[in-house]
Amino acid sequence: MKRTLEAIHMNPERIEMFNLSSAQGPRFAEIATEMTERTKRLGPSALNPCR
Amino acid sequence: MIIADRKPLEEIQEMIKDYENIMLVGCKGCVTVCNVGGLKEVQILASTLRIARKKEGRPLQIEERILERQCDPEYIEQLRDSYDQYDAVLSMACGVGPQFLSEAYPSQRFYPTVNTRFMGGAVKHGVWEERCAGCGTCIIHFYDGLCPIARCSKSLQHGPCGGSAGGKCEISKDVECIWDTIVKKKMEQGRLEDLRIQRATKDWRTARDGGPRRSIREELVQ
Repeated sequence: MKRTLEAIHMNPERIEMFNLSSAQGPRFAEIATEMTERTKRLGPSALNPCR
Repeated sequence: MIIADRKPLEEIQEMIKDYENIMLVGCKGCVTVCNVGGLKEVQILASTLRIARKKEGRPLQIEERILERQCDPEYIEQLRDSYDQYDAVLSMACGVGPQFLSEAYPSQRFYPTVNTRFMGGAVKHGVWEERCAGCGTCIIHFYDGLCPIARCSKSLQHGPCGGSAGGKCEISKDVECIWDTIVKKKMEQGRLEDLRIQRATKDWRTARDGGPRRSIREELVQ
């Protein structure tokens, strides 16, 4: 999927896959925080009409 | 089954650059099994093309469809009511699909989104290899079930050649020398003498050399 995004000139950092179980609540929160920070750093998507 | 690879995205984008409304048709046959043209791949390609065009500021409408097979007129017929509602139709089937579609609907434009490669099978998850060249006169029983026509780079019927080294073919260290395997199997089974048997020259007229082929089952023809 990252290669596909690169092919259409979208930043592949916008997606990430994580493997974790339902028992890993704290890790899920960490990942959500990490992805939120990353998304803020990358700025609005080129597809965002409000950009 | 027939093995295919998806065409590069740029090539597909070039095909449809002038269109605004297309249909993308997958096939539940071989291309579903080799993960190149089934429902999942139709959805992924359609989404990718939509995103790319949206980014360019030229939105693209794509109708996603999948047929049981694109190599049977009865399934091709299922597009009769809708084929002409689009600027073009893209097929994710092997090379047979877009041709059957073109023949059924001459007024529409059809494009292939995959490159049809060969007849083969999965040797491990995600890896497919050629096993049959479709020569029309099967002789694999002479070689203990291994086909030198499809699997020897020179299609030799009396190998191996001087390019065989360490069980590999001279064209690439990744290519097995099938003649090395055939000889080893014969030796293991104590039947190496089989390879001394003089056989009639292979009749290549049943292969592609004889021109486009047709198979007729009289009992099925109405």
